[in-house]
Amino acid sequence: MSQFRAKKLDLGCFINIRVIRDHTKRKVFAEHEPERQALRYIIRNTTLPQRTRAQAQLQLSQMHCYTRGTQIKNRCIMGGKGRGVFRDFRLARFQFRMNALAGNLPGVKKASW
Amino acid sequence: MAAPSYLRSPFGALKRIKISPPTSTCQQRAGFNTVIEALKDQEHDIEKLQELAKERNIKIDTDAPPALDPETQAQVSSLRLPRSVQAVYLRPLRRAAQHGIPVCDLQLRTYSVRNMEFFADFALRAAYYLNLPAKGPIPLPRITERWTVPRSNFVHKKSQENFERITLRRLIQIQDGHPETVRVWLGYLQKHAYYGVGMKANVFEFEGLDVGKDMEAETERQREGLEEKLSLFGRRTDGMTGEKIREILSSETYQRTAHGDSPMMRK
Repeated sequence: MSQFRAKKLDLGCFINIRVIRDHTKRKVFAEHEPERQALRYIIRNTTLPQRTRAQAQLQLSQMHCYTRGTQIKNRCIMGGKGRGVFRDFRLARFQFRMNALAGNLPGVKKASW
Repeated sequence: MAAPSYLRSPFGALKRIKISPPTSTCQQRAGFNTVIEALKDQEHDIEKLQELAKERNIKIDTDAPPALDPETQAQVSSLRLPRSVQAVYLRPLRRAAQHGIPVCDLQLRTYSVRNMEFFADFALRAAYYLNLPAKGPIPLPRITERWTVPRSNFVHKKSQENFERITLRRLIQIQDGHPETVRVWLGYLQKHAYYGVGMKANVFEFEGLDVGKDMEAETERQREGLEEKLSLFGRRTDGMTGEKIREILSSETYQRTAHGDSPMMRK
């Protein structure tokens, strides 16, 4: 959502809207994490009045979806792809192959056994 | 993945040559150094003179006799290298451990064995000159990671390619070293860290029987410095969530409904 997006581009990798969106989600999640955790605590704390807990439940469910950790998805930093991204290199499989063949990834070479 | 001989590290290759150091006295070394220096100075002076002559258009005869007569030249070239230089061509020297108590495990990791062999050699030499008994380099199991990816950027799963990354490891163990010296050694290695070689050290320190008292005193002494670092360990204890909970519960909306006989207030 554009209300969360930075006014100026604050990324240095491959850029497309999905990458920017994911980056925004990460920032928003980090910003709202204590609040989410606090609400989760209130909801689960059985010593609190039922009404308070229900209220917290409502508040949590009404928070923006960008504040959810599950919205974050690792994307390829060289092609912006969302699938087949290796965590070790943060590259999608094809970018990984191209870079490995070009020798840009230290220690990675063609295997044969 | 044996590298061809011309690709191997100069150290490794030279290590294999068994040169028996010629025996000679200490005075010869001093003589050798002074002769070399004198020769260098002479050459330098001649070059300078020639340049000056060229600048001022003065002719000098180039048929001057050589700086050293052949006999002296032969003598100079037959002098042996200084011991410390000679040692570079040989296997690193080691100190014998008296008790064999490990005090530091240094693990080197790399993707290219040449760099690591060289650096392990360097580390052993450094340990020798710091009077530290060192064991190693012990080869540890390699870490092999493999990835299989389709060759194409889209579909065609039948045609794939394999990639691998093999991490090679070596262990150098220091035994019986003084903790201070071990720290110096580690600092020296870190200062002269070699490209493509990672280092990880486990340092063991031994205490007397009154260790509890010592530790308490030490903790007291380091308290201020530690607070900052310890706050970064473990789960977040900076109270952000706790504060937030208090804030939410004391907010107006919660306060307004949390009292009285509003629905769901009975537990």
